[in-house]
Amino acid sequence: MLLAVEAKNLKKTFKTKQGNVEAVRDVSFKVNKGEIFGILGPNGAGKSTTILMLTTLLRITSGTAKINDLDVVKNDSEVRNKIGIALQDTGIDNLLTARELFYTTARLWGLSKSKSKDRTKEMLNLVGLTEAADRRVKTYSGGMKRRLDLGLSLVHKPEVLFLDEPTTGLDPGSRRVLWDEIKKLRDEGVTIILTTQYLEEADELANRISIIDEGLVVAEGTPDELKSSIGGDVITLTFRSDDDAIKAQTIIENSDIEDKQIRVTVENGAEKIPNLLNLLVSKDINVQSVSANKPSLDDVFLKVTGYRLEGEKTLIEESK
Amino acid sequence: MNYSKSSFFTQLGILTKRLLLRLARRPLAELPNIFISAFFLLVYDGALGGVFGGNAAGTPFDFANGNFLNFILPVSIVSASVSGGASGIYLVEDIESGVFKRYQGMPISKWAIILAPIVVGAVRVLLQATLIMTLGSIIGADPATGFLGYFAVLGMAFFWGMGFAGYSVAAGVRSGSSQGAQAATFLFFPALFLAPTFTPRYALKGWLETAAAFNPTTYVLEGMRAIMIEGWVSDLILKGFLVAGGFAFITLSFAVISAKTATEKS
Ligand SMILES: Nc1ncnc2c1ncn2[C@@H]1O[C@H](COP(=O)(O)OP(=O)(O)O)[C@@H](O)[C@H]1O
Ligand SMILES: [Mg+2]
Repeated sequence: MLLAVEAKNLKKTFKTKQGNVEAVRDVSFKVNKGEIFGILGPNGAGKSTTILMLTTLLRITSGTAKINDLDVVKNDSEVRNKIGIALQDTGIDNLLTARELFYTTARLWGLSKSKSKDRTKEMLNLVGLTEAADRRVKTYSGGMKRRLDLGLSLVHKPEVLFLDEPTTGLDPGSRRVLWDEIKKLRDEGVTIILTTQYLEEADELANRISIIDEGLVVAEGTPDELKSSIGGDVITLTFRSDDDAIKAQTIIENSDIEDKQIRVTVENGAEKIPNLLNLLVSKDINVQSVSANKPSLDDVFLKVTGYRLEGEKTLIEESK
Repeated sequence: MNYSKSSFFTQLGILTKRLLLRLARRPLAELPNIFISAFFLLVYDGALGGVFGGNAAGTPFDFANGNFLNFILPVSIVSASVSGGASGIYLVEDIESGVFKRYQGMPISKWAIILAPIVVGAVRVLLQATLIMTLGSIIGADPATGFLGYFAVLGMAFFWGMGFAGYSVAAGVRSGSSQGAQAATFLFFPALFLAPTFTPRYALKGWLETAAAFNPTTYVLEGMRAIMIEGWVSDLILKGFLVAGGFAFITLSFAVISAKTATEKS
């Protein structure tokens, strides 16, 4: 048994007063033991809903899911013992301190008083909150809260860890700290399923990625597989005006436009660039700059969904 | 790692302790209710004690048997016991903040999760009622049943407060918001004043007398007053306990049913 998670045709329909919402339409994937599996998708794609179903916290409309070969519906309490969960909307008691929260959590997991004390120290150390341990959580920064949340999901030493958007809204520095923490956990043998809106995060952390959009899996593979599935190079041409870009798009086949830029995927960038430039010059269109790159996850995302992931933009802006 | 599941009572103890810690960390939240209750006591005694108290025995105003404080103290105690309504607020705060979801992912009995705020509500009622009784006793209340009478009054206040706890939990989970739970305690105002609040029932005007007859608060006030003024008069005291206990039973059952649906997976 090498699979940590097996989701088969998961579906979730919420019944609301305004009608039915198909939050997850058909999601299947397999996660190997010991890997980080990334679920990448925009806001509203169905990531959180998928995580809630896998972690026994939400009823599954149809489909099946197994964690370590245990059915999440039939063996829900056994499953809960094996998994750690850090949800997107972190439920942390702001009036308590990190020490109190770790201790309480350890006690609730069934540890004795003295073992809970030891575990608390260990966990505070692990997530770097020893110094802030006796301060109320209210006074913590966003990054500290996420680290605390991560730590609380690890108190019972889970084999499989679910992290729903663990770094959303964090500054690049805090994001790095969490990334390192997550990698360290994988190196210790914990299987990790994490959702993200950030392409960079999926690229950096995940051994394999599933891209989901509108409740459906639209692509799956290792980051390299996904990138090479596009093949060739991506040429980016930047123009002085939107108008130029629009004109250029009508001339260049299979190109995508975004503001003053157009992108086209070709087999060999170095060969193709002179041709493209000549073509544009012959039509009196001025090119401001041109570059060729290997495809990024961004390009993969664009290809499989037809649009660009917003989250990435904010990430780029933030890290400036 | 394999963990033995903690027992129900361990869980209840841990969750209760956590809520008590929260309570201790925002003591200001306790002030409004205790302040209103103490204020009632002082102001009503100050305003009405002169007419209805004193040595008015033999006059039409002798119902307080010479000590209006004994008559009005139950009003403040009933007001203090409304602090049990915090139970629903505690529970809904945890639902809103996501703490509830966190617990659902842990091997914890959902009954421990629901019972803990009710226990803390009970602690609040006992504390606030005791404070009001202490204040009353300092300024001159003096139960006909002696010191033991205070415990009987406290017992009735406890049941009454648990009634509000159950009610607020049910209203809170049903509305799914802490405002919903908070709104529940507004019910208290008509309940307290459509009752023989300042004079005995026979002195009320017809319509109010009718309303009071249907208001459970009436019987709780009368029960407490019997203890304070008359002595161990069994029927009024029994009625008070039955009404308060019945209210607690009904609202707590309602709370359990509501909480059960709320904790089911959607
Ligand atoms: N409890 C719910 N009731 C109704 N609709 C919901 C509920 N939870 C999520 N949804 C809807 O389901 C879709 C997927 O949501 P979600 O799983 O939270 O997406 P993501 O986590 O990828 O942003 C969204 O359209 C969202 O509005
Ligand atoms: Mg989400």
